[in-house]
Amino acid sequence: MAGRVMAGRATGTIYTTESGVPVYGIVAEYATPADLYRASEMVRDAGYARWDAYSPFPVHGLDEAMGIRRTRLPILIAVIGLTGAALGYLMQHWMSAVDYAQVVQGKNPRDWEAYIPITFELGILSAAFTAILGMLAFNRLPMWNHPLLRKDRFLRVSDDRFMICIEASDDRFDPEKTRHLLEAAGGTNVDLVEDEPEMPVEDDGGH
Amino acid sequence: MTSASSHSHADHHAQASGDGHGHGPDRAYLLREDNITLSPGTGRGLSRALLGAGVIGIVLAGFGSTMIGPAGASHALAALHVGVMACLAVTLGNLWYILLFSLVRSGWSATIRRQMENVASLVPLLGVGVIGICVADLVLGHPLFRWMGEHQGDYLLSKKSAWLNQPFFYVRIVVYLMVWTFLARRMTGLSLEQDRTGDKWLSAKAAATGAWGMLFFALSVAFASFDLLMALDHRFFSTMWGVYYFAGSAYAGIAVCILITASLRRLGRLEGVVTEEHNHDMGKFLFAFTVFWAYIAFSQYFLIWYSNIPEETAYYIARKTGGWNALFSFLVFGHFLVPFILLLFRPFKKRPGLVMAMAGWAILAHVADVFWIVRPSVYASGDFVDKIGVGGLWVDVVAIGGVMAVFAALVIRKVTSGVLVAVNDPYMDQALEHKNYV
Repeated sequence: MAGRVMAGRATGTIYTTESGVPVYGIVAEYATPADLYRASEMVRDAGYARWDAYSPFPVHGLDEAMGIRRTRLPILIAVIGLTGAALGYLMQHWMSAVDYAQVVQGKNPRDWEAYIPITFELGILSAAFTAILGMLAFNRLPMWNHPLLRKDRFLRVSDDRFMICIEASDDRFDPEKTRHLLEAAGGTNVDLVEDEPEMPVEDDGGH
Repeated sequence: MTSASSHSHADHHAQASGDGHGHGPDRAYLLREDNITLSPGTGRGLSRALLGAGVIGIVLAGFGSTMIGPAGASHALAALHVGVMACLAVTLGNLWYILLFSLVRSGWSATIRRQMENVASLVPLLGVGVIGICVADLVLGHPLFRWMGEHQGDYLLSKKSAWLNQPFFYVRIVVYLMVWTFLARRMTGLSLEQDRTGDKWLSAKAAATGAWGMLFFALSVAFASFDLLMALDHRFFSTMWGVYYFAGSAYAGIAVCILITASLRRLGRLEGVVTEEHNHDMGKFLFAFTVFWAYIAFSQYFLIWYSNIPEETAYYIARKTGGWNALFSFLVFGHFLVPFILLLFRPFKKRPGLVMAMAGWAILAHVADVFWIVRPSVYASGDFVDKIGVGGLWVDVVAIGGVMAVFAALVIRKVTSGVLVAVNDPYMDQALEHKNYV
């Protein structure tokens, strides 16, 4: 966790709450998808990079309003998928035409036809695995816990509330200005979010 | 943009304040008269020129048949058959999209469907072409459908005589053409009636027709492709053949629709009606059928290659030897690999210029595919070295080019003769604000 807090903070400032817990970010609530959409546009235009919008359902066009760039995952999928297909072909060619060449049913072992189904399957397999695992990795999933889950009000984003949380690790984060921005964008119940405490490494010996 | 229209934009924002973004379509502005109709006389010169050139090409092919050796009639008729079958595939492909879009109540396609209807409504004219080919074949002593002529008495043919006999063949051709004509007239008729009356329930009727029409379409296209293409070699059989011809027709069909809508946009029409988002979805169909065609074509080839049964392999031997192998390789790369890789990239599906280039290429690849299916049958039994008939290739160019030019002329006539979109389609708003949120 400490690594993530430090990662985006070019200024090096660590904000803490009154009780000394590091601040994860500032969260604000919005009543409708339209409010969330407009607030997202404002946060985007203010230049924030490390923040997210939370909604009970997909909001069309929210990616654009948040200024999210298109994912680069497809390029990775294409490269690994085509590599998988090429390796699949070479594997079969090597096994059936080089290492242990055999004539089966009068066919030339070097004919390409027989190798296409496996080549295709391996191409699909590598592409599909890259898509799934790459999606998980790019989204930093699985995420077993999240600082926002400690907020009772946050549970409403799976029901009838829309929220924006700007993280303290953002370079532009400032406790006062960020709060004002979210309020100006129509946010209610603007609140600080505490970061996850560090997990204790050593046994406390208490049992 | 006039001040009236920007006013109504503002109105729309006010109405849509609750829906998250409020960039709804301004229907009255987008569907204004000068955006969805062509000025009178547009394309008339081009259409006439193409019609004239096409007729000259077909006549030249007729003369050519007497000049290129003993197989001349067979050669020229096969070339005309290539042209007719390629253009028929385009109309059938568009008919399929109309049935599909109505059946699944597709929203985004409401702005492009009229152009598909324009193409599909030419099915009866292609039917005239098919009948013309059959009559010419009959008169000339079956140089094309050889199972009716020189192969009579063949053992395999006698085993298939329940299906491959002359009277039944001609009855079937008429039935296919009637099914397609009925479906095309029914679907375009409902759509045009909706233009006039604005009755939303006509779309429900079209959906109902789509449901049973799809079944009859599938069966008629599959069996027609058996009769008109597969039966060119009566020994050959492939249960995948119907799907193979369909895959090519859906591929070429969407390509022609892309070309028409993109050309109309170049003429300054359909501004904001057919957008890059629609291009994107049509491009996805082009991509999908690039892959689908390759999948079907390879599966058919692969099974026949593996099982190695003589009456099946004869088909591929004729098309992979004696110079035809070059065309086979062209299909692998030109019909599949190169478009497949290019269409993976978004600009090739979205940007008007690039998507037009891809569509034009797709039509070329489709014609090459039909050429590769039909033309090797001419010299299959002749000289092994020159099975192409190189001396007669100019006949192929004028015949195929001629049929395609006539077809293009008819398409232009049809497109320029009416309103460019189905204005009263109940899904019009959805189509106008269509966007791919990815």
